[in-house]
Amino acid sequence: MLKRILLLRGTEIIALMLLASIPLTVNNSYVLGLLTLLTIYGILLIGLDVTVGYLGQVNLAQAAFLGLGAYAAALSVTVLGFGMMGALGVSMLIGLVLGGLLAFPALRLEGPQFALATLSFSALATTVLNEWDGLTGGAQGLSLNRPDFFGHAYDAPGFYWLCLIMLALVWMAMRNLLASQWGRAFEALRDSPIATDAMGVGTFRHKVAGFALGSSLGGLAGGLYAFNFQYLQPQSFTYDLMVILLLGVVLGGRKSLWGAFFGASLIVLLPNLLSNRLLFEIISAAGLLLAVAAGSRGWMKKTTRPFQALAPVVAMGLLVVGGFMVENTENWRKAIFALMLFSVVVGLPDGIMGFAARYLTRLFRIAPSTLPSASNLDDVLPLKQSDNGVLLELKDLKRYFGGVKAVDGICMTVRKGHVHGLIGPNGSGKSTAVNVISGLYAPTAGEVLLLGIALPTGSLFKVARAGVSRTFQNLQLFGELSALDNVMLAMKGAYRVPLPLVLLGLSKAEGHRAQADALALLELVGLKDQARVHAKDLTYGSQRFLEIARALARKPELLILDEPAAGLAHPDVSVLVSIIKTIRQRGITMILIEHHMDVVSELCDVVTVIDSGQVIAQGTADEVKRDPKVIKAYLGAAADEADATPVPA
Amino acid sequence: MNLDIIAQMAVSGALMGLVYALIAYGFQLTFATSKSINFGQGELVMLSAFFSLTLLDLGVPYWLMVPGGLMFGAAMGLVVERACVRLSLEQKSEGWILLTIIFGLLGFSAAENIWGRDDRPFPSPISADAMDFFGISITGLEISVAIGVFLVMGVIELFKRRTLMGKAFEAVSADRDAAELMGISATHTIMLSYGLSGMVAAMAGILISPITTVGPTMASALILKAFSVAVVAGLDSGFGVVVIGICLGALESLTSFYLGSGWREAPGLILLILALAVRPNGVFGKASIRKV
Repeated sequence: MLKRILLLRGTEIIALMLLASIPLTVNNSYVLGLLTLLTIYGILLIGLDVTVGYLGQVNLAQAAFLGLGAYAAALSVTVLGFGMMGALGVSMLIGLVLGGLLAFPALRLEGPQFALATLSFSALATTVLNEWDGLTGGAQGLSLNRPDFFGHAYDAPGFYWLCLIMLALVWMAMRNLLASQWGRAFEALRDSPIATDAMGVGTFRHKVAGFALGSSLGGLAGGLYAFNFQYLQPQSFTYDLMVILLLGVVLGGRKSLWGAFFGASLIVLLPNLLSNRLLFEIISAAGLLLAVAAGSRGWMKKTTRPFQALAPVVAMGLLVVGGFMVENTENWRKAIFALMLFSVVVGLPDGIMGFAARYLTRLFRIAPSTLPSASNLDDVLPLKQSDNGVLLELKDLKRYFGGVKAVDGICMTVRKGHVHGLIGPNGSGKSTAVNVISGLYAPTAGEVLLLGIALPTGSLFKVARAGVSRTFQNLQLFGELSALDNVMLAMKGAYRVPLPLVLLGLSKAEGHRAQADALALLELVGLKDQARVHAKDLTYGSQRFLEIARALARKPELLILDEPAAGLAHPDVSVLVSIIKTIRQRGITMILIEHHMDVVSELCDVVTVIDSGQVIAQGTADEVKRDPKVIKAYLGAAADEADATPVPA
Repeated sequence: MNLDIIAQMAVSGALMGLVYALIAYGFQLTFATSKSINFGQGELVMLSAFFSLTLLDLGVPYWLMVPGGLMFGAAMGLVVERACVRLSLEQKSEGWILLTIIFGLLGFSAAENIWGRDDRPFPSPISADAMDFFGISITGLEISVAIGVFLVMGVIELFKRRTLMGKAFEAVSADRDAAELMGISATHTIMLSYGLSGMVAAMAGILISPITTVGPTMASALILKAFSVAVVAGLDSGFGVVVIGICLGALESLTSFYLGSGWREAPGLILLILALAVRPNGVFGKASIRKV
């Protein structure tokens, strides 16, 4: 534990010291210029990594935010007469506001549409900067002077130190943020937006916040950029720069502050490396060797597909051969970037830092941070007294899809403390009914009352906040998060520290509490020993149990289990039954959709049978099993012929 | 008088808009089968135009050059599919966005170095003289664009509806898994769609080059508008792209007339962002129901 802190924080501090001391020993304006640019790109890429790495969206607008931030700072100084700090504040604000505004329409979008929205935004920004020449000077460019710092003019080292301090502050704030609930939420909505909403976390504000935050860092970097070069042109912030920024993030390594820093160094140094023939040949040869080594290793171990092993070799080979054939490598700069980026994206998807981090962790044997001991379950899920009153009431609930009446007038009452079974043949409308209750679909007609109050309709998020939690028939886990993080994310009422304090690192205590509580819930479903395993690497049965633990973290009034036993092996089914019994002992009301009749018989106090979207029977498990209408629905036989046939298990 | 100018601007803009529609149609072809599009499609248009120009320079007659250019486009489409798309689809990731952007960058740099950075004229046997239709002058080239666009789209739509391979195409578009269970190879169908999409891009390049000249940057503005058309119309409506393409072409031609040519990209970009905000599936697109 101590070793971990020493190594991780120590490296950061040493790196900062080294960077800060360079101007004292090296008096070379060219080197200083490169270092300043490195800190600026560092901030820019940390911001870009929020969207590209954590939110997992291809964001093509960061170059535009750099430009907008730069112009905002320049105009604050030249037109409004602001000081340096004021101008940088304006830059950040511009990024924050415009980023938020862009995120709103882009909210509902995934993948290509999001990329297109950001692409259009950057093209629009360039157009505006070019054409609004009354303000921006258009293609002529805009000159400015670096304002003084309380009467002192910045010399080159002074400005560099300012940029370095900014980078260090951004670094610390982002480290705190990404280790908090916010960081988990960003990653969660990348893996499953539906589950993020259903766990009451809210994709909406986290996506907007993440994007706005990343953009505001772009704006801040832009402000520093303006004061560094003291001359701006709209052409500097176009699509080409954007591609290079993406190269930096991907090559450096996504979801990593060090990766962003490494990517920034690469962007700054690469043009210099390319202009030197010998250096270029060395780099391309090294790249080829790396591709061959990594490719052949992957091929032998069969961990990669043949294409993943071969394509980087071909691309790097092209680079080496091309290096001998062309006269001036500078002219082919973009093609060289493209080939390198291609090799990394295909062959090394985690980037260089992702690769190095894994290797270094093993080398230094850095143990993961220790976990607190689990909370007492009584504190996490207090025992509820059930008075047998009505908890949930469905009144004539209807949901049509075009002409299909999936749910056609269901009335149902769920009492407190009950496990209420919901069964019916495939396609009878069980899942649709549950999807309407939990807010995925808005009802066509009818209403849902929880404790006598109408539940919100058509919003998973609002229903989850109202106290209804659910699992999914087709698993909706956050695959890239650990089992522990999956549960922590959903933990109700654990996160109260406001965002500014989170940035300052004041949310660690509540994080630890949430961790302890989450461990108690993992213990309940028997997954405490696998708390650190990524959800996608758990066995299928464990994934089902993890979804239950995650749903319990909402501390729900009503827990909906949508076919929890589907696809489970027989031993796992018995584990599931005992888990559900434990949950019932805590006094939590459940709706259980299930096809295994033995599970239903063992657990359910009341069973409602649905067919063709309508309730056909209600009662105890034994009663409905003998109901002729139920038998007919399942077997299709005439009721009198199939009198005594039991419903198949 | 003023009305005449507006009509004139609108009509020639609309004819340009048909080219946007054609490129957008290329996006639809690949989106239908694989839910992916080639972000380097603009460079495909440009590369095909340069290749066709080289064929003409080598003395190949115009009407032989056209199939040659189309074949080149199809081949490039297949390269994109193999190098940039297939792996991501197998991994069910969105890596293809980045990889096709990278392909575009490589293509751009190659064109810059092979053919030079200057814009070059593209000779065409079709007359550039203006003809008069009810007071609006239209050149033969513009008419050839309209004919070419409808011809290509018509042939491909007929192919999809009337041939067995086309039916397979539709089947994979409707439900990839079900189609594979029926013995249709989704991989081959996606290859076919990328080949067709490349061919469509080449056709767009050959049609537009005599009007705009050929250069490495010829497609960068074009492609943004094609994106707008595809998104505003919806990525699954062939009829929609034609309608939206014509509207957008006319709109931007009027914008550049009234606000200055620097602003001509603006309406398409604003429309795109608005459409994504209000109707993410497009004006003519179908909304799908979320399932869990």
